[in-house]
Amino acid sequence: MKFHWFAEVTYGHTTAEEVKNNHTWVDAPATMHDPLKVGKTYQMFIRLMQLADRSNFDGLAVNEHHQTSFAMSPSPNLIAASVAGTTENAAILIIGDSLALYNPPTRIAEEMAYLDCLSEGRVIAGFVYGTPMDSTFCYGVPPVELRDRFREARELILKAWESPEPFAFNGKYNKLRYVNLWPRPVQKPRPPIWVPGSGSVETWDLVIDEDYCYGHLSFSGLRSAKPVVDGFWDYVDQRGGDTNPNRMAFTQICCVAETDEQAEKDYAEAVNYFYSRQNVNPAFAQPPGYRTVKSIAHDIEMRGASSLSNEDRMRAARGEMSFWEYDEKGYIIAGTPERVRQRIRELATDLRIGQLIPTLHMGNLSEELAAKNTQLFGTEVIPYLRDLWADQPDHWTPAVSQQRVNANMPQVAGVAGN
Amino acid sequence: MPLTTQTVDDAQIRVWSAGSGSPLLFLHGFEQHPGDAPFLQRLAQSHSVYAPELPGYGESTGFESIHDIFDMAMRFRRLVEHLGTGPVDVIGHCLGGMIAGEFAATSPHLVRKLVLVDAWGLWIDADQPADPFVLNPEQLKQAKWHDVAAAERETSIAQSHPDGANAAMLLRQQNLGVATKFMWPIADRGLSRRLPYVSTPTLIVHGESDGLIPSAYADEFARLLPNAEVARISGAGHLPQVEREDAFITAVETFLAK
Repeated sequence: MKFHWFAEVTYGHTTAEEVKNNHTWVDAPATMHDPLKVGKTYQMFIRLMQLADRSNFDGLAVNEHHQTSFAMSPSPNLIAASVAGTTENAAILIIGDSLALYNPPTRIAEEMAYLDCLSEGRVIAGFVYGTPMDSTFCYGVPPVELRDRFREARELILKAWESPEPFAFNGKYNKLRYVNLWPRPVQKPRPPIWVPGSGSVETWDLVIDEDYCYGHLSFSGLRSAKPVVDGFWDYVDQRGGDTNPNRMAFTQICCVAETDEQAEKDYAEAVNYFYSRQNVNPAFAQPPGYRTVKSIAHDIEMRGASSLSNEDRMRAARGEMSFWEYDEKGYIIAGTPERVRQRIRELATDLRIGQLIPTLHMGNLSEELAAKNTQLFGTEVIPYLRDLWADQPDHWTPAVSQQRVNANMPQVAGVAGN
Repeated sequence: MPLTTQTVDDAQIRVWSAGSGSPLLFLHGFEQHPGDAPFLQRLAQSHSVYAPELPGYGESTGFESIHDIFDMAMRFRRLVEHLGTGPVDVIGHCLGGMIAGEFAATSPHLVRKLVLVDAWGLWIDADQPADPFVLNPEQLKQAKWHDVAAAERETSIAQSHPDGANAAMLLRQQNLGVATKFMWPIADRGLSRRLPYVSTPTLIVHGESDGLIPSAYADEFARLLPNAEVARISGAGHLPQVEREDAFITAVETFLAK
């Protein structure tokens, strides 16, 4: 299986008191942050991704969020640009650009093509709807229009990448008389496409119809995800789609150390910070029209099937779980490389996941510990899990990054039984 | 209940109709169609009342082909043509008021008189309306009513598929989702540029305690419309037709009879 290094670009200097008294998304007071410290944070993440590129990771993942201390990455393409030109091996996993928010969306086609040129064909193009906070509140798209705008933007971007001739695009939201992209992506006919979702059946239909990689990007782990991911695979199977595990991505916070005790010592505070320094106004999380009635009804059914209680969800969000309870409930996978390998193997086998997006910096973790986490994961975990799903083809990661990462991958003995 | 389904272009529109007399079109607000509301029955005593359920709401279809507020206004032009009544008096409440204003601006030949009740459609920087989509149920209740005890008098149209524990929540998601097309993130789709062309005699009705739309909006509608008068209703919030039914009916009937 494959591993894509990831972290939310979280502001690491908010106090518990500030978070208690203020929302941290959409209307978070700007007085809660110091732009110079934000700059240091960006520099740290760029260095960590450069390290991951030298540490056997298959991809470097960047994402898009707005107006929040949780993830200060308003344009994933900017961070991607910083690493595309300074790395050699890993895929640049943009997961992703919020298609409905760019006007015109050819901007996405251009910037992703730029990144594909700069990285010599290592871009994975992630297309996202964006969270309700990001897309409908911060960027003001009427929730009921979001899917339709995404649909039209996707159509325009694909045509812009692939059409050999200039063309006119007379869309509902975008009118362009001359579309003729410069530059074009290195990868032909286009970079691989991933579309993450949160269980909406409309998104499942899209990834099945178009043979995209689907992503379940939550930080709640196996128990919370299982009904949704199982539901996805059942749906793929029913519709006669490709059940290759390499078309499924999953995020997982991982905390690797020399011993289990050391893991707790190193990461407990940062994990608590990650989960508890968020205070999202519930009204910003569920605007009407963001999800279809069909998907809401389906989601209620899925939640009922989860073995994670609502009480646990709330306790996790309030930071009331101990480090090892977060681990036990699946929110994190922590401990020695051996333990982490074992748990990931179980997770990936249970959920049929071929693309893991391990989150290796979280909350207010120091660069030193994030680097240790990255190196241990890259050298002591990744090589030992290469065998999983190795027999399945993977056209959802760029050929160039596959070839370069595999060329450097240490061979380890006795893999399957570790 | 006097409900029929009318086929208008590609849409199936449910229409509540009752009464006899001069034709009157009522367009409902952003939450739902009021169904057999007492104020509609009172209006039906002296008018042929037609109260369509907006496309996309409840069991009315055809929302997908509506790209903007003009398509919505044209949909009601087609409906009135289809009903064959000739020019109608139009009462638009809340979101329905915004649509009624556009209807009057684009189809003046079909509108005899216009009544806008606590209508959306305008924006004043210095006096911003509430964001109805972020209020929790209790906050919304407080904003809507002068006296929250009136909330229990609010009615809604029956649905054919009322079963299931989540039916009411899902219906509300559907209805409010449609409203976001015209009211999100700011309920201004340019109506202020069109109102000066509406010479139709217009009555602006405003509940004095409306906690969603400040009373300055009644003045702004009156300023923009060349032929408008304002009736403020005390002791009423966003739904004066429910909270002060008698005062509402008197104001409307007096205006329509002039």
